[in-house]
Amino acid sequence: MFGLNKIIPTNSNYDFMKLKNYFIYLSIFLIVISIFLLSFRGLNLGIDFKGGTLVEITTKTSDIGELRSILSPHFNDVSLQEFGNSQTIIIRLQNNSNEESIETINKVKDLISNKVEEFRRSEFVGPTISSELLWKGLQAISFALIAILFYIWLRFEWQFGFGAVVALTHDVLFTLGVLSLLKIDFSLASIAAILTICGYSINDSVVVYDRIRENLRKYKKLDMKELFNISINNTLSRTVMTSLTTLIALFSLYFLGGEVIRPFAFAMVIGVIVGTYSSIFIAVPTLLLFKFRPQDDE
Amino acid sequence: MKNYPLWKSLIVFLVISSGIIFSIPSILYQEDTENWFLENKINLGLDLQGGSYLLLEVQSDVLFKEELENISDSIRLISRNFQINLTDINIQDDQISFRFMNSLKLEDIRKEFMRNYNNVNVVINNNILKVIINDNFKKSIRESALKQSLEIVRKRIDESGTKEPLIQRSGKNRILLQLPGVKDPERIKELLGKTAKLTFHMVDDEDQTSLQSNKAPFGKLIVTDFYDSSTKYLVEKKSRVGGENLIDAKGSFDPQQGHAVSFRFDTTGAQKFGKATSENVGKRFAVILDGVVITAPVINSAITGGSGIITGNFTSQEAADLAVLLRAGALPAPLEIIEERSVGASLGSDSIDAGKIASIIGMIFVCIFMILIYGIFGILASISLIINLFIIIALLGIIGATLTLPGIAGIVLTIGIAVDANVLIFERIKEEFSKKTKTLSAIKNGFDKAMSTILDANITTLIASLLLFVFGSGPIKGFSITLSLGIFASMFSAIMFTNFLVYLWYSFSKKKEINL
Repeated sequence: MFGLNKIIPTNSNYDFMKLKNYFIYLSIFLIVISIFLLSFRGLNLGIDFKGGTLVEITTKTSDIGELRSILSPHFNDVSLQEFGNSQTIIIRLQNNSNEESIETINKVKDLISNKVEEFRRSEFVGPTISSELLWKGLQAISFALIAILFYIWLRFEWQFGFGAVVALTHDVLFTLGVLSLLKIDFSLASIAAILTICGYSINDSVVVYDRIRENLRKYKKLDMKELFNISINNTLSRTVMTSLTTLIALFSLYFLGGEVIRPFAFAMVIGVIVGTYSSIFIAVPTLLLFKFRPQDDE
Repeated sequence: MKNYPLWKSLIVFLVISSGIIFSIPSILYQEDTENWFLENKINLGLDLQGGSYLLLEVQSDVLFKEELENISDSIRLISRNFQINLTDINIQDDQISFRFMNSLKLEDIRKEFMRNYNNVNVVINNNILKVIINDNFKKSIRESALKQSLEIVRKRIDESGTKEPLIQRSGKNRILLQLPGVKDPERIKELLGKTAKLTFHMVDDEDQTSLQSNKAPFGKLIVTDFYDSSTKYLVEKKSRVGGENLIDAKGSFDPQQGHAVSFRFDTTGAQKFGKATSENVGKRFAVILDGVVITAPVINSAITGGSGIITGNFTSQEAADLAVLLRAGALPAPLEIIEERSVGASLGSDSIDAGKIASIIGMIFVCIFMILIYGIFGILASISLIINLFIIIALLGIIGATLTLPGIAGIVLTIGIAVDANVLIFERIKEEFSKKTKTLSAIKNGFDKAMSTILDANITTLIASLLLFVFGSGPIKGFSITLSLGIFASMFSAIMFTNFLVYLWYSFSKKKEINL
């Protein structure tokens, strides 16, 4: 219809394996940069993981500058940020102890109450909770990796599990690198995004692997690189289609879903794009490290 | 429809019709219905309906310290009886050490002490005696403190008039509180911030030297005044009667004294109070709340009726709140707020609106895209996608799940991912068809071959999603619920329903060609 289905490749025959080295080097380069960013610049941890106080307000009569000048003299570590529009403002404060926080929220409210139209939300996360949440998040991601590895090992051969986890780690590191580079607020929802990216990335790799497994039985003599190429091309239209529909839904969430969910949608968009890329250029080439047939030893 | 078995058609019909029917309550969404059917609607999380979430931690360290103080008193008393001089007492986390003048009779002290305490370890090293609270003792202290706290918190919240609060235990020493509709939890925090330990002590006005040197003699205690921290009282350490003997308390107004709290003791309390006041006419007694003196009136005559009033410079709200606290009883230990999240109702409804729009627009675009790419099959997939959404909503309602903002994100994401199974199937059918297979067998082979891929791909996503449920907290759990349900629903709608639609289409059109 309207020739639009041309954008989805059918019966394609691209030689992905020929290009693979360029992409592997590109990926290594990007991952090194990501690791570099993560270790030196770090993630912009939100109050979920850093602890602190957050107050979101709307104002009609005032602006961010005025509010800042009211609050700054009273708190050491206060930051204000417009949230979606100039009338919605987020105030973040750092406090060291639990008792302090209750007073902090009250004090902020007292100081600016005559400028504020509405207090939309207030959040406080104490230091014990924030470190617990971070630890639980890391646990969830590690267990997810192990469980997925285990499942793929059960369903396929272990080499596939290895390849899928390499691709997955690549996707997670790259996404984290982008979040670090752009200083996107890293919250509990970001952990959810990372885990969903894990699921999505594996999903993509599994579909290609499934075809490779099928083709390994079908073409017993075919050169491995050729076989991988055929398999990727076989599934290419599906890979592209699914990525596009998922991206359509995510963009809808990003632009229309509201300010609070935007960082989540953003991380997911990055993850889906890189997940699609890695299922072709990382997950499959990694399999070349292994021998699947006896005759390949020659 | 001879190509699609009847039993399968029946299942499809059953699931879809109940999916649509059971999504009605959630879509119409009415407040507080008594109707059984309409009860099956989605609960909105605090981030969507507005409300406060509080996580409180029972400060059981305070209790350990209290216990150590008791042990200290007990050892001091015993050593006094044995006439051994104590030179130093040192309290650390969960142990207390006593240094004596000499090591004589320490064994006897230990024996005497162990008669009353059996949950502690006592170590003697030369002239030092060390008492350590063991883990079992700590555990039982912590456990009973948490149970009592839960009960007291429940009473206080009920007294405050909050509707439908959720109060539950969380972990070893935490209490989780969800207060729907409470936008500003200041008053609740105020109510929970006080332990409200009320005790009546006799004041010693004779021993002015101890008061001046700020060093309480054995069995006495120096307490400051609530309103004026420079005023101090020397009181008996042991209280004559306490808040646990109160049976009622309410705010009252006294023309001379202003707002006050009137209270009534139970029989035991009345007896104790009567005895204390009749023995000490002319002396003062101090009303101590959470370690500070609220008032210390002179006893003019014995009070035997078991009731009285507490005056102070209260406002009417303060008097009412104090009465609530006294009625509910004292917390065994202070509670510390370690996490708080409050969302105003308007932000909540904004989030719902945004979520609805994002889902609908996302869905429309995905459908348009599918139809542009797959033509008639795209239409079938779109119908399947819409049904899929109904099933998710119905499931959420039936299991009584709580929908959160991340949960809405999960639904939108599911819309994107749900078509994957359809895509896998269509691509297979297309592939089969290009091999010059007949239409019917192309359809059949396409579905069969896509099946294992669909399962593998969805199970891995499900694993990630379930782990999110296990480790995630609050709103994030909501995300994993909608995502998991979405995966199940999409597998059903692709494998069963789309399959059904495709055969239905085929049996009507009898096309020799598939235009995919």
